[in-house]
Amino acid sequence: MKTYTMKLECEGEMDCPKEVVMWNYYDHEHLVGTHFTYYKKARVLAERDDWALVYRSGNMPIFGIPISGMGLQFMEGNVMKTFHKDSIGFLLEQETHFFDLPNDRSKVKVIYKINVPKFMKLFEPLFQKMFQSWFKNVWAEDAPMRLRRWKVYKLGFKDFKGIDYINKKLPKPEKINYPTYEFTPPIPVFSDIKQPEGMERPFASSVQLGYND
Amino acid sequence: MSLETTETLNTKPEGHEKNLKLLATVDELQQKGWQLTKWVDGHDILLYKYEGDVKAISNVCRHFGGPVGYHKARGGKFTCLWHNWEYSCKDSTCLTHPGLPLRQYELKIQNNEIYINLEG
Repeated sequence: MKTYTMKLECEGEMDCPKEVVMWNYYDHEHLVGTHFTYYKKARVLAERDDWALVYRSGNMPIFGIPISGMGLQFMEGNVMKTFHKDSIGFLLEQETHFFDLPNDRSKVKVIYKINVPKFMKLFEPLFQKMFQSWFKNVWAEDAPMRLRRWKVYKLGFKDFKGIDYINKKLPKPEKINYPTYEFTPPIPVFSDIKQPEGMERPFASSVQLGYND
Repeated sequence: MSLETTETLNTKPEGHEKNLKLLATVDELQQKGWQLTKWVDGHDILLYKYEGDVKAISNVCRHFGGPVGYHKARGGKFTCLWHNWEYSCKDSTCLTHPGLPLRQYELKIQNNEIYINLEG
């Protein structure tokens, strides 16, 4: 059967180093935290170094289309490749390219591709609309997470510890030295996301007071 | 600090209380549904009322630095937005990882204004 590749490219810039954005993409637990309105459940089936096989279920932001399936993600240089097989049977191929920009900024380009039977070419505008919406909505939730992560890092935040001058009730240092942010997967987890039961969102809705950053 | 025992002095905190910073007014806190967050001099503060007392704790999750007070508290606990770590509204202990409580701040309430001691 002749096939056709439906394709969409999306881009965004962030006021933080690309390594912070990579951390965000490899942090599986935030799927049912930060993105709790979309994802209901996540489970890491296997993970080593810079690759992970992850099961996810939830709903897309457009028409509430249910999504569930497994995705394999891994790094090739500064490109994260993801193969996501959904419950309908399509294979979504995603390339996420990370670029450095001056002044600790970065750019992300995401390419979504699905191979479909050629007669489905006419559905490409719908595919593009759905995934443009997906990218836009998820980006809007991830952006403040990345910026805050970078902000607290510059204040001396250490994972599983916090910020020293806050916890020890010390005056805030006039100058805080921080090393270059490094992306070192896999991200440590403290939940059941690697257990058979996986990790579920704590609630489907809440009163959201929002960020203050 | 209980709202029923707040001071009504007409002076602002001074002297040994020089570390006090104006954080919010009681009216503002009430308008926000008795829970708000604010950055003050490198401190992200979660201010709220629980069982009649106004309390201030760090809004920086000890896990990865997420915003603890993003969601309105429910069932006497805060749930951090990023990875769902839970903290007690009563005493800011971490219910997910008991060894990692959130820092509590001293407060002073005068003339409807809530001051915070960033070093206390």
